[in-house]
Amino acid sequence: MPPLICRDCDTVYRSVSLRPGDVALCRRCGASLARHYGVTAESGLALAVAAAILFAIANLVPILSIRVAGVETQANIWYAVRSMQEGWISVAALGLALTTFLIPLAQITLLLWVLTFVTLSHRPPVFRQVMTLLHRLRPWSMTEVFLLGALVAVIKLASWVPITVGTGMWALAGLTVVLASLGRCDPSSWWSLESKAPR
Amino acid sequence: MSALRRSSELGLILCRTCGRTHAVSALPPDQRCSRCGTQVVRRIRHSHETTLAWLLTGMILYIPANVLPVMHTSSLLGDADSTILDGILGFWRAGDWDIALLIFIASVAVPLTKFIAIGLLLYTTRAGSHWQLRERAKLYRVVEFIGYWSMLDVIVVALTSTLMQFAVLGTAEPRIGIAFFCAVVVITMLAALSFDPRLIWDVEP
Repeated sequence: MPPLICRDCDTVYRSVSLRPGDVALCRRCGASLARHYGVTAESGLALAVAAAILFAIANLVPILSIRVAGVETQANIWYAVRSMQEGWISVAALGLALTTFLIPLAQITLLLWVLTFVTLSHRPPVFRQVMTLLHRLRPWSMTEVFLLGALVAVIKLASWVPITVGTGMWALAGLTVVLASLGRCDPSSWWSLESKAPR
Repeated sequence: MSALRRSSELGLILCRTCGRTHAVSALPPDQRCSRCGTQVVRRIRHSHETTLAWLLTGMILYIPANVLPVMHTSSLLGDADSTILDGILGFWRAGDWDIALLIFIASVAVPLTKFIAIGLLLYTTRAGSHWQLRERAKLYRVVEFIGYWSMLDVIVVALTSTLMQFAVLGTAEPRIGIAFFCAVVVITMLAALSFDPRLIWDVEP
């Protein structure tokens, strides 16, 4: 195994094999160097499929809705984005669209793409670009923040109007959990496909 | 306990994008990683300058984000513009102190902590300080972790405006302050991402 280098302080370590639950911490700076990744590519693929389904539900079924004088108004991620379209406020719409809709969607799609090929042990087309993009997108995905925001909105509005939590909220909560589990995959093991012939 | 060696001492270098370890001597002339194709650098280029630029931009935009209204509400009781702080005080007065605290943390405490922490990291690394190395490394990781939770208020305002656009009892609309606030969140995240934490340790022999 090649030596391991700490991302945060450049200290070099000899690689060791880790047991379930193990986390290797840097002796110099305390950053996490590696851990035992509990999620194999096969279960990763299953999780990515689950994420795709939950993402679809969260976006097709209302997350919240209110009913005043017989008129129902619904909210989901895309409606929330569209509510900020006026003039320069659309800067916020753009930020929200990227971080809570487009980037999570791209992540799920790219993970499905990569993991399907990893499971088949074939190198997918544009593999490098997809892997690099997945790495770059990671800090910008804010599904869990949207979930918390939706819960705050419930409490905020509950004293004014009758508000209903829709199935979309449960899908969003499930999606948060599934995306967190996908974070326990080990992308460095997928990279071994790079040496394989493309298909 | 063996001595902790740095990658440069052993002629090694890490690709921070894909995590591959390279022998410096084996890198091609353009320094691109043989696995992922990203340019491998010992330290993020112009890390100090870029981080400082993002930090100052974020701090400047934080002023209109707080001074300008983020939401406009109209009801039978009248029209009102509210800032982020008004929103927090509203929850507080209504007795929802826990929600007030949550939004205060996400919208006020987190951005201010980020400004102070990034400023401190920039100043100390620039000065070549040996002070609290491990703690500052930890501070960097905290900043990295808390950054995106500040988006909370943007989401709350967006959902409130969505649900209250046609309501008979009153309506709510977003106002320009929220765009500034969203920009602050993104820009402070860019500041944290452009800071190279390895700079903290460069003072060690």
